[in-house]
Amino acid sequence: MTTALRSADRPAQPPRPRTANGLARTLRQRGRRRLLREDFLTVLAWASGAAAVALYLADGGAGQFNNLTTATTSIGIIAGLVGTDLVLVMLLLAARIPLIDGTVGHDRAMEIHGKLGKPALYLILAHMVFLLIGYGLADRLNPIAEGVSMWNSLPDMWIAFISTVLFILVVVTSLVAVRRRYPYEFWYVVHLLTYAAVLTALPHQFSEGQLFAPGQWQRWYWIVFYLVVLAALLRYRIWAPIALTFRHQLSVTRVVSAGDGAVSIELTGLRLEELSGAGGRFFIWRFLAPGLWWHHHPFSLSADPVAGRLRITVRNLGKGSAALTSVRPGTKVAVSGPYGLFGHAARTRPGLVLVGSGIGITPLRAILERAEFEPGEATVILRASTPETLYLRDEIAELCRQRGATMYELVGQRARHGNPWLPRNQTGLALSDYVPNLRASDVYVCGPKKWTDAVLQDAKSAGLSDEQLHHERFDW
Amino acid sequence: MRARAAAAAALASFGILALGWQAGAQSIEASKVVGVTNSATGTAGSASSGSAGSPGSGSSASSGGTTAAGGTTGAGGTSTGSTGSTGSSTSGSGSTSSGSQSSASSGLKNGTFTGATEQTRYGLIQVQIVVSGGKITDVQTPQLTGDDMRSDMINSEAAPILRSEVLQAQSANVDTVSGATYTSEGYLASLQAALNSAHA
Amino acid sequence: MPENQPTGLGARTFLAMGTVVSLSAAFPGVTDPQDDGASGSRRLEAAVRVIEADFAALEERFSLFRAESEASAVAQGVLRLASASAETRAVYADAIEWRRRTHGAFTPERPDGILDLSGIVKARAIAEAGRSLEALGLTDWCLNAGGDVLVSGTPAPSNAAQSAPEEGAPRPWLAGIVDPDDRRTLLAAYPLGGTPGCAARRALATSGSAERGDHIWALGGGRPEFVQVSVAAGDIETADVLATAIVSGGREMLDLATAQWDIDVLAVTDDGGLLATPGFRAPKAA
Repeated sequence: MTTALRSADRPAQPPRPRTANGLARTLRQRGRRRLLREDFLTVLAWASGAAAVALYLADGGAGQFNNLTTATTSIGIIAGLVGTDLVLVMLLLAARIPLIDGTVGHDRAMEIHGKLGKPALYLILAHMVFLLIGYGLADRLNPIAEGVSMWNSLPDMWIAFISTVLFILVVVTSLVAVRRRYPYEFWYVVHLLTYAAVLTALPHQFSEGQLFAPGQWQRWYWIVFYLVVLAALLRYRIWAPIALTFRHQLSVTRVVSAGDGAVSIELTGLRLEELSGAGGRFFIWRFLAPGLWWHHHPFSLSADPVAGRLRITVRNLGKGSAALTSVRPGTKVAVSGPYGLFGHAARTRPGLVLVGSGIGITPLRAILERAEFEPGEATVILRASTPETLYLRDEIAELCRQRGATMYELVGQRARHGNPWLPRNQTGLALSDYVPNLRASDVYVCGPKKWTDAVLQDAKSAGLSDEQLHHERFDW
Repeated sequence: MRARAAAAAALASFGILALGWQAGAQSIEASKVVGVTNSATGTAGSASSGSAGSPGSGSSASSGGTTAAGGTTGAGGTSTGSTGSTGSSTSGSGSTSSGSQSSASSGLKNGTFTGATEQTRYGLIQVQIVVSGGKITDVQTPQLTGDDMRSDMINSEAAPILRSEVLQAQSANVDTVSGATYTSEGYLASLQAALNSAHA
Repeated sequence: MPENQPTGLGARTFLAMGTVVSLSAAFPGVTDPQDDGASGSRRLEAAVRVIEADFAALEERFSLFRAESEASAVAQGVLRLASASAETRAVYADAIEWRRRTHGAFTPERPDGILDLSGIVKARAIAEAGRSLEALGLTDWCLNAGGDVLVSGTPAPSNAAQSAPEEGAPRPWLAGIVDPDDRRTLLAAYPLGGTPGCAARRALATSGSAERGDHIWALGGGRPEFVQVSVAAGDIETADVLATAIVSGGREMLDLATAQWDIDVLAVTDDGGLLATPGFRAPKAA
């Protein structure tokens, strides 16, 4: 079933009157600035790694490579320093710092975080292995005997060995294959051990590391780095959620069915108008009810916040989401966010294309509500296998009518040939067939990973650049 | 990663590494001054073997050094001591030195030769060698001053010294052994035990 | 020796303060009819028991390896220094005074901030044991605690006080210094004791920057210039403290030490070179 809805009515609530040219220029500048920030952060990340090595070289490390023993030791030290740098960068990426989140997005940040995990572990293991060999050579001991001797004779070394074990545990449980076998909560708790791993690694760095010794100026670089990471974690992982929760004091007002297996949870709270414009971006929710409070959920808003009202729409995905359908009115809610680049801030072009599948449709509705576009410049494509899973279809249709957007409903089984994101009855078509001004548009895609990738692929082959593509995977 | 980011990141990283390298190279350079004693040690072997009476192979290195010293101003080669040994081989006398092994004795003039003064981290240093019978019999650093001339006032100043110049020792002829404790307690204990039984 | 009377030289070893303590004592050849070789051996046994007690007493109070020691209590912050025993405070005050005199190169705190008086305590134990030996009437002995050496007299005493003048000065105790590059060999030797009344030094201590590269104990920051430093001095505490101070304070401390104290120093630089005061030079062969 395909329906094209088009309305040329005056938009009911244009965000701001702006000329098409003005909007295009503003968006382009915004996009350029974001890319500049991204490049800057990339440079910063690489520079921190280089600095870890450079600080060692500045201490005369380059002179250590003239014999096997000191060369082995030096490699070990450098591995440890770079490994430490990677771990700290990983913590920064996971700290939900607005600058990072608003530049590369939470998704990308966590993707990079995940990619750094294994290299960091390898470096830490290399640190241990090379130093055991290096010191062993110096002491004329085999590495294992050297390890025993270090454990016994050096302060804080046993804690460092524990740290290594914790790092191994954290990375191994994060491997996709292992992670699937255990519930999310298990992985989450183990992942918290990262903090223990970092903390247990600290003492030996400062009691035995030559760069960390008192009087070394390099010591201050590392102390400041550690403090920055600690401050970021405290500020954005701990303080920000608490502050936001107390500021808005959210509670559930009602839970209504939103179609097949999905519910809309409506919340009320104070000063919610401050969150206006957060549509599409996600918040992390904690419903403070027995059995639910310890589980947090990343959900996007399904309606842009207005004074006193907030709404999310969720489907029974994981165990936790299923329980949410029975959450009682009056339940207090802790919240942090908004996170992610899946929102207005990521716009770079005047045209807007929103493509959603299943429950992934819901954040698009919130974006559509407040997005800046000229009538006729926006296209909404909803994809579902059955009409019942075209969540919030009626609301979106009404918004499209008001704002002058084009809406397509693509319902049916997945196509066997051609574009895999389209239903069978649309075989042979592509994204550009639905959107005439595709090249001059931003494309927001939200749905299951494979499907999302297929849409993005389609958009790319139509000539769109990365900065025009925005996506949110909806399969946590 | 975007090309611009990649280029900038590479540039920044290499820049930082280069800075670190540069800073490190300076500190290494500074610590190399200790090489005065280090590589002089190489020559020391010759001096000691020479004084021991055997025309040791080490005399090749020393011959190079002395040839340089024998030159009017070439003494600078010896002055650093370290340069003495390396400089000698580069100055071409190193090539003769291997051949001059036997003729070394004829190639070296007897007498005392003093090198040019060299600035080191520890102040000015000047090396003097004594050649006798075609062999270096002594290497000394007669002048060693701090920038503030402080060291001139201290007659017990610690100066670079060759390994051959210290009182030699074998475990057989000492009564006791001193060493940094953590290093080799086992060794100290066993050596001490051996000494004890030797003396008991 | 004119009468070819053998000199009795006995040695005993025991463990204290986590290291090996060895006492060698020389007894003049048997001339006294009441005396015999066994008497020397008995006196040595008795002396060892006495100094063993000296070491044990200090160790009990100051060992950080013993959880119940007073020093451990201070190090763990259980016991405040102000409320510690007079002796502990005295040692601490002593250490602080050394820190002042060495311009901070010697410090009673480990790099990790833990108060560690063990270095100075060992020196005090050796000195205390030396006084005990003198009190016991021993004149010719060599006491070595983990490489720190204190001697008295000569290993080859002549039996008569009025020894033959043609023999010259009594032979000194010859202490070998371990080569940090190859610990199975000796780098140098230093004569200790010997001539009574002369400027001869009685104590020798050797300190090293950590074996495992300077990565481990970079005292006071930077890479240690010296891998190993030996200091010969009139008393063991000076020798021990200055050796430690020069290792951590580098060349600057070396100059300060040689200028302010009457000592001999042999320092091994990190690339194997040597720095030495004249006392470490071999006497010029004739």
